[in-house]
Amino acid sequence: MQSKSLLRSFFQDPRDYQILFLLSFLILGVAARDFTLRPDCVAAAILTCLGVQYFADRLFENPNASFRSALITAISLCLLLRANSWTTMVAAALLSIISKFIFTYKRKHFFNPSNFGIVVVLLMMQDGWVTPGQWGEEVWFALFFAGAGFMVVKKVGRWDTTAIFLLCYALLEGVRNFWLGWTWDVYAHRMTSGALLLFAFFMITDPRAIPNHLRGRILFSILVAGLTFVLRNYYFIPTAVFWALFVLSPFTVLLDRLWPAGRFQWILKTAPVPVQSAHTIGR
Amino acid sequence: MRLLLTILILLISAPVWSFCGFYVAKADAKLFNKTSQVVLARDGDRTVLTMSNDFQGDVKDFAIVVPVPVVLQKGQVHVGDRKVVERLDAFSAPRLVEYFDEDPCLPRIYMEKQSVPMPTAPADMSRSRAEALGVKIEAQFTVGEYDILILSAKESSGLEIWLRESGYKIPAAAAELLQPYIRSNMKFFVARVNLKEFEKRGFQYLRPLQMAYESPKFMLPIRLGMANAESEQDLVAYILSPVGRAEVTNYRTVKIPSNMEIPIFVKDEFADFYRAMFQRSYEKEGKNSVFLEYAWDMNWCDPCAAEPLTPEELKKAGVFWMNGQDGPATRNFAPVPRQSNVYITRLRVRYGRPKFPEDLVFQVTPNRENFQGRYVLRHPFKGEANCPEGREYRKGLRQRVEQEAQTLAQLTGWDISEIRKKIGIPGSAPVETEPSWWEKIFGEDKDD
Repeated sequence: MQSKSLLRSFFQDPRDYQILFLLSFLILGVAARDFTLRPDCVAAAILTCLGVQYFADRLFENPNASFRSALITAISLCLLLRANSWTTMVAAALLSIISKFIFTYKRKHFFNPSNFGIVVVLLMMQDGWVTPGQWGEEVWFALFFAGAGFMVVKKVGRWDTTAIFLLCYALLEGVRNFWLGWTWDVYAHRMTSGALLLFAFFMITDPRAIPNHLRGRILFSILVAGLTFVLRNYYFIPTAVFWALFVLSPFTVLLDRLWPAGRFQWILKTAPVPVQSAHTIGR
Repeated sequence: MRLLLTILILLISAPVWSFCGFYVAKADAKLFNKTSQVVLARDGDRTVLTMSNDFQGDVKDFAIVVPVPVVLQKGQVHVGDRKVVERLDAFSAPRLVEYFDEDPCLPRIYMEKQSVPMPTAPADMSRSRAEALGVKIEAQFTVGEYDILILSAKESSGLEIWLRESGYKIPAAAAELLQPYIRSNMKFFVARVNLKEFEKRGFQYLRPLQMAYESPKFMLPIRLGMANAESEQDLVAYILSPVGRAEVTNYRTVKIPSNMEIPIFVKDEFADFYRAMFQRSYEKEGKNSVFLEYAWDMNWCDPCAAEPLTPEELKKAGVFWMNGQDGPATRNFAPVPRQSNVYITRLRVRYGRPKFPEDLVFQVTPNRENFQGRYVLRHPFKGEANCPEGREYRKGLRQRVEQEAQTLAQLTGWDISEIRKKIGIPGSAPVETEPSWWEKIFGEDKDD
């Protein structure tokens, strides 16, 4: 019984699911997809993220101090960013965590941390790169991502962002495919990209960095999908999704002002709520 | 990123085209039938594309149509040197290395040795007929032994009709395939052999075509080439960059199995070995992956399958950023100061229509981790070696040889017992596997 309640308390925070899934993707990637992950880069990302989080929490007196988000950021960096040198991973990890404390508006950060770290490294350093083709496009991978991702977003109540982003992007790519006259397997090939789904389920959904109000999130998702489409097809940037999210993230502030709503709290919205912690809901 | 090549090879009169023929060779690109080779030298948005083919038919039947991102003028098209492509191939080919075990009773010294390493010319078509079909001849010129046309079109059906009327034999569904390129605002590079020029020059083969252009598109249009190909085709792409390793962004780029120790008899069957191993890897990876065979800084090699290319040869291969100056900035990377200027990536793609619906899109990354397809032969020591170390050595040798046999079977799918038969083990009886515990009590069951 005791172990059951321990397990329950562990999975009370949806980020625990997220950590578990991201970790399993990482293991899957290394085992089945030939990721050239280097242990020194993984260690650099994890240690830097946790270390910077620890000091920044103290420096900025963060009341919600937790290592979970930092760990998620570290695993995301390991999944997406490649580098020749571990120092590049340190830079990316440092930038990611610091961005959460620097780029804030009313105590809410508006950049997705790992997205910020990745884009700034791509922009400023000559050592980092993203391999969008690393996941391949096998359908079972697509399903696996979709299923696992859905569980996480359902837990945190931000599935709307994923759904609207994917719908809009699928629609735009579908119209383009039809207009160009490609066969539909070209379309399927583009849409089943593991990298795209990973982004849709785990990056754009970061509930702390996207608009609070449903309307804001809908508009935000449409904008990210649209910009991704344009950057990929008209500017030929293979990593378009990351750039689109990066460029549009500051608009979260505007959208929050336009449509104010309560901000997201990791624990309070978790459902089902265990009886013993029900009293925390009203806080 | 950019590029395009491929390649409807249109035959003017014969119904087949292709890069076909028989090959007897080492593990270079010619090992595989139907292999086309392209060299992509790219820095920033600039690309020099070299297309080398091994067309074996009558040259008057040769013609290619390649979608290109921009209109090319005469100065941008060039006839290259086939030897340079051969040099790139030899330099980057998968390699066998041999080591000789020293006398286990003596202190060690290292030794290494490597082994192997035409109908009516379109020019005669009236421009007004072309215009009526919505086809525009953007440029028209002769370079070396080739007559070149750069076309743009409004409608794929118009282009298809024009090509047919001009004597190009194109596949039935060509219009459907041409349309996406027309709508993506791409142009068509059409080349055929000018027989007079060809005879004047006295070459026995077609030299590679080179084109230089500037475009953010970094891709190879393989789709067109699958129009009339019933089976899979191979493409070897050599990507030269001042930055680092190149990879495909819309398919997985997988390393070919490498650094394996395999039995010595493979030395005489290296081509068979590599073919079988590639086929097996290709199937294992779902037939929809691109294989990395080589990635290296072109200043050196270890071991070298061939000497590194000279600056003059690199220039012929399309490298335009030599002289130490920085290349132009790209969207993703700031200009990089270069120490060693050319990094080569060799990719092999076996593509067929069902698994490769989309054209290949590339990106250059700063990845400078070297990689090579390398297979190791270790010759056992053949002397007496009667010291205790020698006895240990012989014991270890049996296991090693068995391990090599299993590695080979795994890599190629060859029958393990055949492999074992082919292996002669010096200084000991042929290796037999330990019978399993049930065989020890039941014996080997020979019944069907």
